[in-house]
Amino acid sequence: MTTTEPFAPEIRLEAIESLLLEKGLLDLDRVEQRLEMITTELGPMNGARAVARAWVDPDYRSRLLEDGTAAVRELGIDGPQVEMLVVVENTPEVHNVVVCTLCSCYPWAVLGLPPAWYKSPEYRARVVREPRAVLADFGTEVAPDVEVRVWDSSAEVRYLVLPERPAGTGSRSESELAALVNRDSMIGVRRAGQVDD
Amino acid sequence: MGGMEGFGPVPVDDDVTFHEPWERQAQGLAIPVQVAARSNLDAFRHAIERVPPAQYLEGYFHRWARAFETVLVEGGVLAAGELDERLTGQTPSTAPARTTKAVPGGSGAKRPGDTPARFEVGDQVRTTAARTSGHTRLPGYARDRAGVVAAVSGTWVLPDTNAHGEGEQPTWLYSVRFPARELWGSGAGEADVVYLDCFETYLEPVT
Amino acid sequence: MTDLPVEGPAAPPRVNGEVVFEAPWQRRAFGIAVDLCEQGAYEWRSFQQALIGRVAEAERGDHPFDYWQCWLNALGDVVEQTGLVALDELDQRSVSLAARPAGHDHEHGHPHR
Repeated sequence: MTTTEPFAPEIRLEAIESLLLEKGLLDLDRVEQRLEMITTELGPMNGARAVARAWVDPDYRSRLLEDGTAAVRELGIDGPQVEMLVVVENTPEVHNVVVCTLCSCYPWAVLGLPPAWYKSPEYRARVVREPRAVLADFGTEVAPDVEVRVWDSSAEVRYLVLPERPAGTGSRSESELAALVNRDSMIGVRRAGQVDD
Repeated sequence: MGGMEGFGPVPVDDDVTFHEPWERQAQGLAIPVQVAARSNLDAFRHAIERVPPAQYLEGYFHRWARAFETVLVEGGVLAAGELDERLTGQTPSTAPARTTKAVPGGSGAKRPGDTPARFEVGDQVRTTAARTSGHTRLPGYARDRAGVVAAVSGTWVLPDTNAHGEGEQPTWLYSVRFPARELWGSGAGEADVVYLDCFETYLEPVT
Repeated sequence: MTDLPVEGPAAPPRVNGEVVFEAPWQRRAFGIAVDLCEQGAYEWRSFQQALIGRVAEAERGDHPFDYWQCWLNALGDVVEQTGLVALDELDQRSVSLAARPAGHDHEHGHPHR
């Protein structure tokens, strides 16, 4: 196996694809169908629904923290990369942030596909070592006495952050609350959206 | 098939006989299937020839699988359609029985284990200092470091052995909590913590 | 990449407003890796292991880190390890494809998406 890359990636990909097609091992329609599903049906709106439900329903919140996999399935959320989902809760005392230092492991079923920065050597190297500086890069300040927990997804367990519910949202409906839950708040690099009123 | 047009080049460099374990099984079933159906080699060959064109192109062993079904149905061993019913999508030429929301990895990595967990929540542990040339999920920054077991996360396929064909070896997985200063020294944040998922084989008890 | 269309059939997939794939080959590499796994060619952790290796290798090198190149390399690794495609077969095919004149008309018999 060579470590240099003599071929442009488009060429290499086409070589793999054409050989697999010729051997009858690939069905491009099937591949396309799966891609469509992954890129449209999977996304952070799934995780946001679980977060919003946890904010309004204390029993659901308990179940979500106890067994994330089962709790998101209650909402019809299931899919790739969440064979075991652990939900970790942000509180006034604890702030959580998730990484995969070895590659790019990410809970696709609840967050969709990871953004480029999550997969970058910069994020993967720095967040585990200087999380507060990385959070500051995202505009997120954490008080010195708050414990910052970095979860390195080194095995098959996937992590989702349950962000704190923003102040002043007591009258919001569950779907309005879900709209406040952005992807970055479920990775832990930002907080859930603040409310303007 | 001879003389038919529209096919790509013959993959002459493909000299792997069996791409997947089920293909080896298919080869092994040829005689028993014929015996079960009180058939014979010629009838089997004929069955292969009668595989519909779209399925014929699925590959050599896929054709065998289709032919098996034909032989078994015609020999009265199976009712027509019974095989599809039983397999419900697991026939070799279609996708395995997974929904569109299946976990990539099929049955996944969780496995029943038959040994008790060595550690429990609250135990003090130390990660191994051993550097391995093989695959491991213990990141370099966490080698030879002391932490506390925060959770016991079930038994899973051990990537270290499975990667080298040494078997799945279901192994207990632990979430281990490391103070940042333990990992990075006194320059690290006092209130910073790293949680890392560690397989039991990476850990030793701290006495 | 700022010249990609934002909407319409040619727009690349976006997650939360961000582009996931910057080029079609990345999307196809992703799709094929997932598909082969789901067809039973390999377990996902095998692909992960290859990816971990390729990422580590890339980080030791002196080229700018290219995640999708790592992914593509890992895909090549697993299709070779599982015997779907032989390395020299892959190299030979790459050579022939690379030898096509520039601006070829995609006559190789399958559509690009």
